[in-house]
Amino acid sequence: MPTTIVTGRDLVLTIATVNYDAQTTAVTLVNAPVITTYQTLDGKAYKHIDDQWTLNMELLADWGVASSLFEAMWTAADTAPNTALAVSLTAVTGAVFTCNVFPVFPTVGGTAPEAQTDTWTMLVNGTPAETFS
Amino acid sequence: MPASSIATDVRGVLATALATSLASVYTSVPETVIPPAVVIVPDSPYLETTTIGKSVTRVKINMTVSAAVAYNNNAGALNQLEVLIIALIGLMPTGYVVGDVSQPTIISVGASNILSADLSVSTYYTQT
Repeated sequence: MPTTIVTGRDLVLTIATVNYDAQTTAVTLVNAPVITTYQTLDGKAYKHIDDQWTLNMELLADWGVASSLFEAMWTAADTAPNTALAVSLTAVTGAVFTCNVFPVFPTVGGTAPEAQTDTWTMLVNGTPAETFS
Repeated sequence: MPASSIATDVRGVLATALATSLASVYTSVPETVIPPAVVIVPDSPYLETTTIGKSVTRVKINMTVSAAVAYNNNAGALNQLEVLIIALIGLMPTGYVVGDVSQPTIISVGASNILSADLSVSTYYTQT
C-alpha cells in the first residue's frame, strides 16, 4: 500500500461559511476525554464519562481590511457570545468534520518586529460530526 | 482587474514607499550600483508557505533592503548610511515587517568602494 501523506495544505476551514484558510497558519480539532478511574477489589476499572472538544487556531491578524476575519469574530463574540458558529474542517478530500464553536474575542496587539498573530481556543458545542467517504 | 504579482504588488509597492531624496531605489539588483542606492534583494528563504489550505496561494516573502553609500571616508560614510537606514525604516509601508540591520561592510564595485548594510524585511502576499 503506498504511503499517504496529508499536509496542512490539504486542510480547508470555514467558520460561519467564511473561509479562513488565507489567515490561518495552524488548526487542530482536539478532544479531551474525561475518564473516571475506580479502584475495585479486582483492580482498576475505567469509565469514559464525557468529552470536551476544542478547536485551536493560530492566525495572522487582519484588522482593518475589508471583510476582516478578526473583526467578524470580535463582532460575533461581542453581540452573540452564546450563539455557536458552524465550523467545517476538511482534513483532506473525503474527510470532513463539522461542529459548532463558541466565538472568542481575538487578542489585540503583537510583538515588534513580528507580524501580529493570535491563537484562538474555541470550545465546541457537543461532539463533531464526521463525514468519511 | 489584472492578476497580482510580487514584482508589482510587493517589490514595486515597497520601492515606491521607500523613494527618498537620499538615494536611488531599485526593485531588483541593477547592473551598475551608483551610490547612494537602495536595492531590494530576495532573502533566503525567499518565499515561505505559512497558511493552511490550497484555495488561496499565500506566501511570506523575505527580502533584504540593501542600503549603500559611497565609501569616501569612514566617519562620513557611516553617518550617511545610518541616516539612510533610519529614513528607510521611517518610510516602511504598513504590512511590512522590519527586522534587523546587518553590520556595515565595504564592497568593491568596479573601481569604487561602497559601504553597505542590509535591512531584513518581510511581508505576506496573496495571489489574486
